[in-house]
Amino acid sequence: MKNKKKIFSKFYVLLCLVFFYLPILVTMIFSFNSSKSLTRFTGFSFRWYSELINNVEVTKAVYVSLTVAILATLISTVLGTVTAIGLSKSKKVVKELLLNVNNIPILNPEIVTAIGLMLLFSSLGMRKGYLTMLLAHIAFCTPYVITSVYPKVRSLDPNMANAAMDLGATPYQALTKVIVPMIKEGVFAGALLAFTMSFDDFVISYFVSGNGVKNISIVVYNMTKRINPTINALSTIVIVVIILVLILANVIPRLKARSLKINKKAERAIAMVLILLLAAGLVKCGSVSQSSHVLKVYNAGEYIDLNLLDEFEKKFHCSIVYETFESNEMMYTKLSSGETYDVLVPSDYMIERLIKEEYLQALDWNLIPNAKNLLPQVKNKSYDPGNRYSCPYFWGTVGILYDKTVVDAEDLKDGWNLLSNPKYKGNIYMYDSERDSFMIALKALGYSMNTTDENEIQEAYEWLIHQRDTMEPIYAGDDVIDNMISGNKAMAVVYSGDASYIISENPNLGYFTPEEGTNLWYDAMVITKDCNEVDLAHEFINFMLDEESALSNTQEVGYTSTVESAFETMKDSDYKGIDSYIPKDDNPNSEIFAYQKPNIKQKYAELWTKVKAK
Amino acid sequence: MRRRKSGSIWMILPLYFFTLVFVAGPLLYMVALSFAEPGAGYGVNWSFSLDNYKRILEPVYLSTFVQSFKLAVTSTLAICLIGYPFGYFMAKMPPSRKKKAMLLLMLPFWVNSLIRLYGWIIILQNKGMLNFILQKLGLINEPLKILYSYPAIVVGMVYVLLPFMILSVYSSAEKLDWSLVEAARDLGATKLQAFVTVSLKLTLPGLLSGIILTFIPSMGLFFIADILGGNKIVLVGSLIQEQMTRGNNWPFAAALAVVLMILTTAMIFFYRKLTNAKELEGLG
Repeated sequence: MKNKKKIFSKFYVLLCLVFFYLPILVTMIFSFNSSKSLTRFTGFSFRWYSELINNVEVTKAVYVSLTVAILATLISTVLGTVTAIGLSKSKKVVKELLLNVNNIPILNPEIVTAIGLMLLFSSLGMRKGYLTMLLAHIAFCTPYVITSVYPKVRSLDPNMANAAMDLGATPYQALTKVIVPMIKEGVFAGALLAFTMSFDDFVISYFVSGNGVKNISIVVYNMTKRINPTINALSTIVIVVIILVLILANVIPRLKARSLKINKKAERAIAMVLILLLAAGLVKCGSVSQSSHVLKVYNAGEYIDLNLLDEFEKKFHCSIVYETFESNEMMYTKLSSGETYDVLVPSDYMIERLIKEEYLQALDWNLIPNAKNLLPQVKNKSYDPGNRYSCPYFWGTVGILYDKTVVDAEDLKDGWNLLSNPKYKGNIYMYDSERDSFMIALKALGYSMNTTDENEIQEAYEWLIHQRDTMEPIYAGDDVIDNMISGNKAMAVVYSGDASYIISENPNLGYFTPEEGTNLWYDAMVITKDCNEVDLAHEFINFMLDEESALSNTQEVGYTSTVESAFETMKDSDYKGIDSYIPKDDNPNSEIFAYQKPNIKQKYAELWTKVKAK
Repeated sequence: MRRRKSGSIWMILPLYFFTLVFVAGPLLYMVALSFAEPGAGYGVNWSFSLDNYKRILEPVYLSTFVQSFKLAVTSTLAICLIGYPFGYFMAKMPPSRKKKAMLLLMLPFWVNSLIRLYGWIIILQNKGMLNFILQKLGLINEPLKILYSYPAIVVGMVYVLLPFMILSVYSSAEKLDWSLVEAARDLGATKLQAFVTVSLKLTLPGLLSGIILTFIPSMGLFFIADILGGNKIVLVGSLIQEQMTRGNNWPFAAALAVVLMILTTAMIFFYRKLTNAKELEGLG
């Protein structure tokens, strides 16, 4: 009877451990996969490890995560310990109050602390970056240290320090020689907790960092939107390192016990060597790109052949800080919160807005000789007449990607209303973009997608609500790419460039732009007004228009090139037969997005949040 | 004597400095901002209005709170059911195994939680491991669409927050005097009776603090809803993030955060009333 129960509890614990370790195990296995697939194991390789090591973004993030965690741990441990001792010496009322206040960050959802700190930093006019991240980590780690040190301090005899000082110790000596050794356990526990919290943190870091400073969590968060096996490699390395540390921590004391002869000096020497090695490693990691000229480029995610950045850095002896955004709105928020960039790659309507709000400087076309390579049909568009401020980068349309084996060819006649055909209920991805979703609804209703008529907007909102309730679509981001390649749903609203890439991977799919018209879009490179490297920024634009770079860029990303030779090569060879690569720009019903006045914009934003928050 | 006093001041000063600048400052600023208005286009118009709070009462936003609450209840319930027995069994283990179990429990904690969630994408996707196994076993014909659904978010929540429950149940079960259970049995209680009247009752503080430690964070962990739920706004946390980034409405985001803070504080207040405890179990 007793045995049976033991077996049950053992089995239960085992089952839970499987639950804990399964995801980790899976990532470890797939880190050795030779292909990008996360569903089939195609062969053993170290491919993702070498990609990881060469990925500057990741190595930098490891550096940031480690140094922030170490510094935050050191500082918050000292601060927390001193604070805890100070607490024990305060009056009861004050003590209670202070303890309660310091408990707020521990007890509340992290996002509350994050918003508070972010607002504070921005009100102080601090530029988001390494320092703000470090300060935020100190702020949220210290209360944890206090909670683990304070109980130990409280259990101390309050006369201890006084006795030491009566015997001639200075306050500093009393602290370090008497109090600290007695609360050592609590201090260690607090430091360990602080390190863990800091190293693992996402929510707070996400809100308070910026200007290219990212920790591992932020990089992984950005990566999860698209399949990227380098994450698996990173996770495997992290686990192996942790296991090694744990083994060492368990083995060293035993070795010490066996050979007590090793004297303290040798021990200290070994510790020093280890610390120096770690420091050297960190410095090396951090100095990946330390050159005098730094160009800050801010582009959409997965929107460039990263090798081009390396090439450019080598060619022009500079370093590029490359950051990505999820949407134009996100980019605008960052820009207006005071972050500075040199080159941006926003979309048409956002460029119009940035010009109006004087964020940009006029381009000097004499410095961009490769402009002659541009396709004639992408120049001189309504968002920037005469291309005074912007140089086209990629272009295309928005349309419906559909599974030819599931969707009836007849049904395509419905145009945008195909997305509310009950036949395909639960089988649709919408795109998580406010303007594109309203564009679909407005076009389906026969209105202009740039309408400011409140009634039309309201009607479009109702169309979207009706579609949401009857069709149960998923509002997806870039994850739609992998899902459509795997054939997870019958159709998806996508950008033509993503469609081209997806169709090249899954030929069962087709792409069409409805007759009612669609969003004809242009993304272009612009230079900001407070750009520090104006010449280098022009060189960058010129470099991206180079025929060779343009070709490898469009080959890597799948979006339609604005450079004529690259465009021709792609449509005649690489992407032959994939018509989504050739944007249909002759439909008179199609439009380019125009700048929205703030009050209209606010209206859209509000309605879109309502659509998404069911 | 004078020397001693100045020593104490140097020890108390950092305390005040830290509390004011890093904890109270940001929170007070946030509260102040929640009464302001978003500026046209960008920034903040300082004014005093209750509009942001009125807006939260609109059905859409209110329903996000309700939904977030429901999700938190579901996740916490699942965490209780899975975590309580684990913590309880662990406390009953012989010391050597206890240490090993603790180590095994803490190890995943050290791996970045976003990386671990990414592992779940691999498992839950349509052609992923779970569907593969279920199909091979003949339990299902069509692959289940779990990824980017509500259950996927619950799985993510349970996965990230479970250790908190286990640790707090464990720390109160460890203090349990097992001879009391034996005494109850000797006095004629059935196993179940002994468990309910003695073990459960004495570990209740641990269970309750576990509930607090899992329930509260689950309202704010927007990245779980993001990664496993497919960008849906189901949490108060996702709503705040949306308003902070894309919505560009900081005062409204601040108001949402303030309401979240009040809810949390109320919950902890009731927890303290209920248990008479000053501190949560299992922290640290």
